[in-house]
Amino acid sequence: MAELLQFVITGITVGMVYALIALGFVLVWKSSGVANLALGQMVLLSSWFTYGMLVQAGLPLWLGFVLVLIFALALGWVVERFVLRPLIAQPILSLITVTLGLAYFIQGLVVFIWPWSVDALPRLFPTEPVHVGPAVVPQQYLWAAGISLALFALLSLFFRYHKMGIAMRATADDQMAVQASGIPVTRIFSRSWMFAAVLAAIGGVLMSSIGGITFGLVDTGLKAFSVVILGGLDSFLGAIIAGPIIGLAENLGGGYLTPLTWPGVREVIPFIIIIIVMFIRPYGLFGEERIERI
Amino acid sequence: MDLPAGTRNYSYAQDMAIFRTKTHWALFIGLMVLLFTAPLYWSNYWLGVANLIGITIIAATGLNILTGYCGQLSIGHAGFIAVGAYASAALTGRLGLPFPLGLVSAGLVAGLVGMVFGIPSLRVKGFYLAISTIAAQFIIIWVINHWTSVTGGFVGLSVPYASIGGLTFDTEGKQFYLIMGITALTIYFAKNLARTRVGRAFVAIRDNDLAAEVMGINLFRYKLIAFFIGCFLAGIAGSLLAHWMWFLSAEFFSLAESILYVGMIIIGGIGTTLGPIFGAVFIRLLDQVLTQWVTPFLEGTFTMLPAGFATGITPMVFGLVIILFLILEPRGLAHRWQLFKAAYRLWPFSY
Repeated sequence: MAELLQFVITGITVGMVYALIALGFVLVWKSSGVANLALGQMVLLSSWFTYGMLVQAGLPLWLGFVLVLIFALALGWVVERFVLRPLIAQPILSLITVTLGLAYFIQGLVVFIWPWSVDALPRLFPTEPVHVGPAVVPQQYLWAAGISLALFALLSLFFRYHKMGIAMRATADDQMAVQASGIPVTRIFSRSWMFAAVLAAIGGVLMSSIGGITFGLVDTGLKAFSVVILGGLDSFLGAIIAGPIIGLAENLGGGYLTPLTWPGVREVIPFIIIIIVMFIRPYGLFGEERIERI
Repeated sequence: MDLPAGTRNYSYAQDMAIFRTKTHWALFIGLMVLLFTAPLYWSNYWLGVANLIGITIIAATGLNILTGYCGQLSIGHAGFIAVGAYASAALTGRLGLPFPLGLVSAGLVAGLVGMVFGIPSLRVKGFYLAISTIAAQFIIIWVINHWTSVTGGFVGLSVPYASIGGLTFDTEGKQFYLIMGITALTIYFAKNLARTRVGRAFVAIRDNDLAAEVMGINLFRYKLIAFFIGCFLAGIAGSLLAHWMWFLSAEFFSLAESILYVGMIIIGGIGTTLGPIFGAVFIRLLDQVLTQWVTPFLEGTFTMLPAGFATGITPMVFGLVIILFLILEPRGLAHRWQLFKAAYRLWPFSY
């Protein structure tokens, strides 16, 4: 029982971080129709940058985080301006492949600057485990979940009331109409990439404060894909709900299926979920099914 | 089809010919002679590179049929190659089947696995399909790593030499003939497939699948055929790879390798027969240059930097090359080659 509760709590909390990273994906997809397959690498790069600021440069926490945020904004801007902007209105195949090229490049860059490939961030959160009923949960998980929840709340307020947020939603809805009413669509694209990069950076810091900085962070990006597939590519709500589901499935499956199948089943559960969703409900739980006309 | 000045087609046979003029034939025969005498004067190292390029061309041609002609983006190609490699290794090594049978069954097994993961393509496309092929990649590699009784798991699996009849392909030179022979057959097959009913159906599906369906093309059938052919060739390439390396480990078939295959057909020129050849040669040679010369040079020159930093150069350059090609020359090297040929034929009167 304690075991079950523990799996459930860690699953849901980690799932929230997945959902946070997935939100960045949904944002870019909705506003510009680009599938960002370099998400995992952006998470990885931001985590290493945090390491560089906090450990290598020895900056205080607050300054380090401000710099990480600035870095993430710059990363998003650069990626949109120099990689995606020249490819506006190209076929989807090019748009997907270019992010793959980007993923390759960023991964190389990370190896280039931090070749030792495994390290740990300094302690960000208190580490004493918390007792929830019979279960013992490491405190970082709860912090990560709390921060993710706070960010969800902030983001939904932003999209509801802020002018930029409303413009972003409008772009997602109808690009032509937005352009006609004088909103610079390219700036919206740029902003959505910057947002996505910031979300990836925060997700990366949260994940690496739990599990250290490894290439496993790239897999976190891949898990975010299974979140968006399950939730529906164009649904914020879907991402927020599907995140904890993926986290739960991963932890419960890893906990209870490993004795029945082969070890490491935890790592492929998100991918098996992707395949199942593809067969049963390809547009996800909350995704909008597009009807095409010729 | 642009022809040299003064050459006209007067029959369908002439119009369909791959080698139209005597010069074409002379160049082709010259190339073949050059290629098939290569083991006599190339060093073992370069023969090895050539063998790897040949295998890569076969796999990239498969991906080009699937992605370039039929428009179904697959980012799990290395996974399907792995299926073929392990199928062939297990059949010949553990069951003792002859190599030709192992080769063909490797293709069939990979093709069938590809068809299973291609089933979602009926309902989804674009990004959804890309993600499901990534999922296929990870599931396949996971199965390979843990199905120890067949694949050897993390330890790896040693593979016997390929042999046909009494002939054993145990040197780079002998393997060169085997691999280049199959590569030539593959290219010939791909060239002809593109102009049959099936190939034209693929192109119609790529350009607009709804319109293709309205025209009476059975989408489900042709998409599955595309997945089967693409993954069949991946399986053949995998089998050759297994018997060429004599050792298999799942590390050879990573997601990065899959991405590289997509990069190859983009760089070479998507939806052309020449594309995969150019792309495979370009990427594999670039890889050789970067890992054999540039990386050791940088490691030796900048010793004050942390050890191993230069291993990041190769992926950085690959990523950059893919991005730059997509932005600056989305039609790839094959298109550049066409331009060159046109300019060469008209030179010096280019009007």
